[in-house]
Amino acid sequence: MKFPRSMLLDYVQTDLDAQALGDLLTMAGFELEGIEEVEGEPVLDIKVMSNRGDGLSVFGLSREVLAKDPEAKPTELYRQASNYFRHVAFSPGPDVVSVETEDCTRYAAALFDFHGGQTPGWMAKRLTQAGMRPISLLVDVTNYAMLEIGQPLHAFDRDRLAEGRIVVRQARPGETLTTLNGEEHQLRPDQMMICDAARPVAVAGVMGGEDSEVSPATTHVLLESAHFVNTSVRRTRKQLNLNTEASYRFERSVDRELVVAGLARTVALLEEILGTRLDPRLSVYRGQESPSRSVGLRVSKASMLLGMEISPEQARTYLERLGFAVSGEGDQLEVELPTWRYDIQREEDLAEELGRVHGFEKIPERLPEGTTTLGGSRGVFLQRDWILEGLVRLGYTQIVSHSLRNEHPLDPRTPRVAPRTPASPEYAILRNSLLPSLVDAFRRNGARDLHLFEIGRVFDPDEKTHLGVLASGAEYPPRRKTDAVPEADFFSLKGALEAALGRVGVALDLAAPKRADDRFHPTRQAQFLVGGSVAGVLGQIHPDVARDLSIPPGTVLAELDLDAALASAGSELHLRALSRHPSVRRDISILADKSMPYRQLERSVVEAAGPFLERHWLFDVYEGKGLPEGKHALGIALQLRKPDSTFTDEEANQVRESVVAALAELGATTR
Amino acid sequence: MHEVDELVGEALAEIQSASSTSSLKEVRSKFVGDKGSIASLRKQVGAQPPERRKEFGMAVNDAFKRVEAAIEARNEELKAGEQASQFESERIDVTMPSYPQRAGLVHILQQTTDKIKRVLGGMGFEYLEGPELELFRYNFDALNYPPDHPAMDDQDTFYIDDERLLRTQCTALQGRVFEIAKPPLRCFTVGRTFRNEAVDRTHAHTFHQVDCFMVDEGISMAHLKGTLGVFARAMFGPEVQIRFRPDFFPFVEPGVDYAISSPKLFSSRWVELGGAGLIHPNILERYGIDAERYSGFAFGLGVERIPMMAYGVDDLRLFLENDLRFLEQFRHEPVFDEGREFHERLAGLSDRRTEPMQDRVEARTR
Repeated sequence: MKFPRSMLLDYVQTDLDAQALGDLLTMAGFELEGIEEVEGEPVLDIKVMSNRGDGLSVFGLSREVLAKDPEAKPTELYRQASNYFRHVAFSPGPDVVSVETEDCTRYAAALFDFHGGQTPGWMAKRLTQAGMRPISLLVDVTNYAMLEIGQPLHAFDRDRLAEGRIVVRQARPGETLTTLNGEEHQLRPDQMMICDAARPVAVAGVMGGEDSEVSPATTHVLLESAHFVNTSVRRTRKQLNLNTEASYRFERSVDRELVVAGLARTVALLEEILGTRLDPRLSVYRGQESPSRSVGLRVSKASMLLGMEISPEQARTYLERLGFAVSGEGDQLEVELPTWRYDIQREEDLAEELGRVHGFEKIPERLPEGTTTLGGSRGVFLQRDWILEGLVRLGYTQIVSHSLRNEHPLDPRTPRVAPRTPASPEYAILRNSLLPSLVDAFRRNGARDLHLFEIGRVFDPDEKTHLGVLASGAEYPPRRKTDAVPEADFFSLKGALEAALGRVGVALDLAAPKRADDRFHPTRQAQFLVGGSVAGVLGQIHPDVARDLSIPPGTVLAELDLDAALASAGSELHLRALSRHPSVRRDISILADKSMPYRQLERSVVEAAGPFLERHWLFDVYEGKGLPEGKHALGIALQLRKPDSTFTDEEANQVRESVVAALAELGATTR
Repeated sequence: MHEVDELVGEALAEIQSASSTSSLKEVRSKFVGDKGSIASLRKQVGAQPPERRKEFGMAVNDAFKRVEAAIEARNEELKAGEQASQFESERIDVTMPSYPQRAGLVHILQQTTDKIKRVLGGMGFEYLEGPELELFRYNFDALNYPPDHPAMDDQDTFYIDDERLLRTQCTALQGRVFEIAKPPLRCFTVGRTFRNEAVDRTHAHTFHQVDCFMVDEGISMAHLKGTLGVFARAMFGPEVQIRFRPDFFPFVEPGVDYAISSPKLFSSRWVELGGAGLIHPNILERYGIDAERYSGFAFGLGVERIPMMAYGVDDLRLFLENDLRFLEQFRHEPVFDEGREFHERLAGLSDRRTEPMQDRVEARTR
């Protein structure tokens, strides 16, 4: 809300400059957004909280200034406004108002004759300063009165109203209205309209109609001032996509008692400008009177909540300065709420009022005492952090990318989730995979020699936490002496994932898929299995996809459902006693079918080797020259050790023979 | 005996003139090796007349010792020289660049999150997470938003359908927690939030928030300010001050906007950091918590704001662009000096050990 400092001075007598006033209002909760010099005078721009519609006027903000600053004094105009301008006299007019909807809670019309006139320069200047465009005297005066006291008003040319009367009702199916901005609207029955005897002439609380607006030819004026249910105005203006000073105020609630006061202030201003008496006649629909509301307040409780001591005397003074009526003795007060404070519902709200006036800046710093939980991360949140740290230790770089993005060739085929109204086509859909963003980041940073990962949510369409990893090119930066740097591949990425997930006791179980995922190289891809079900994928990118994305075909990618993987995390750690006896090693060279999964051979090795197999590893894989088609030679090392005695050669040979025999059963023969 | 002395003289001369440890080795085998000339004298001991035998034997042994000692001494000399020249030939220029290692990197938002977790975790707040794809009722209804209230306009929301949306605030966790946990409790979350705003340097449709709250008996605005003070000083340095001013959020009452100021960071201007207040009693009551007995506070702030303010990052968009030229600049985390002297004294590293510890204790409690 923008207004020149001089307008505030009409209501408050103070020496404070614009900056000081702005700071004062800021500390009362009405934040100064800026001070701008317009037409030689400072104009304050104040952000009004959405529950404080009463602050959307110079009068309302004056009340806050007077409450915060005991030095400031109210002016005569302030006193008149506080008294709702009751000194302006109306004669009773003809009953021209009928209200047929519950969403209109009060409606007043002032009827008077008008013979033209010019907006005075001072008023045009102040409207301009407040960011409004001067239009004509009648329109300008209603805008000015709204700026002053917060009551939206509208002037109709009464001669253009059928039967010269007003009916407030819901729109009828098929009705249309062209509003002041020239837009024609198809109306719906859930929209409240101001109508004449025949048709809608204005959108209630939002905007007037083109046909009934005042013009230079207007001689009979019907001035409207009303109160509408805020949610009704809000719904209609959203449906019609109209946003006006009036609807902005109605949505945030306007004091119902301002309805007649708005007419009075407008008439007083017009009479002052024109120098004549208008002799207005008044027609009012008062609606159901609302009972006065009051809230109990324990000053001690408010002090406790605020964390600073406020005395009952201070409490009484602060509340009275804000317009509350206070009764009761000592700590226990009964506080009658002013009609404009729709936001106050309970004791805690009054505590805030005390804090606002006393000054939140006076609250001291104290730390909470008493019992507390064990702070920090636990459970899966801690496990995720360990995996993250594990990958960083392994030399992977963490990226963080958008959840909203566009579709991508690496998206898996799942149902998708998207916002109804996207920010832009690039951010139109929620990701169902982390791989597209990894590739984006890879490309952004040169598309070579990178190891990247991300942990984040995906939506497939259920929300899940995934780990995505991309590795491509040199495993480490080349050295000066040119040694061949190994490149990332399926097995290096598999190893990194084993190490990272091993930190939380998740053992990787990988298997070749029954049906290949066409994002990956068809014979270099695997599925992560958790408890028998698929929880992710690891593989070299499909060469065609790599070409389309302009990234190296050797790039390897992995994506894992962390929630599912962590369900299999080990919860216990078992330590083995260290043996004092030496280990012995036996190597086995076998010839096996390439179609025989190593995992199967390995299981057989472990089973046959018995309890003293300390470690085993695949030390050689050879295929090609000298070997039968479809076969490869594998070298498997066994390391054997006993806890309480030394392995003899003979014992070791026996173990080796058992393993060889077990492998032979799988068709793998020793070479 | 003459022949023994002669051999010794010959050996000592050759030892002295040996120019390398390897030629010295040859000299050694020539005289005192198994087949060396002095060694072969030993075999002649038995051939000596009995009266000379003892004397001859002693002379040979003595010769042996003298030659061995001379070889040993000469070997030390030669070895030192040879090693010195070997070291010289192996000299490297230590100022040449290193072999860069593949070092992993933690994203700056994660580094910030980790720091938040350390600080709030240290004060007994438990880390929790809720969904990003949130239900309308947790994002708004549960947080005391009146139906169809303009307060919702403050946050342009990405709606999925009539019930689901992308959460606009991490405060949405509160209702989920209150449904299953009762006070006393202290929780916080760090997560992603979404608002349908036009994107520029200071606005993004996707950003991150910290939301922290506690409920216990007698919790006040002073406890909120104290907790925020510890938090803000840990994030921005020991000189940071906190300022409250009234503001409206449907889920707190009283509600405030809090700003921080530090002579080091923003030339003492007050910079708004986020919203805070006492949890609205309507929310506590909605979840069956006795609002007369319990009160609680909540505060929130943008995660990106922290590195933006601490390091002067001026474009919000950089955080989700994954440009390594940006991310790699956050390789180390500055540590505030507070406590260093204290820690060094404890570790016996400071010269000022003799100063009375009392100074510090008094300074801390004043």
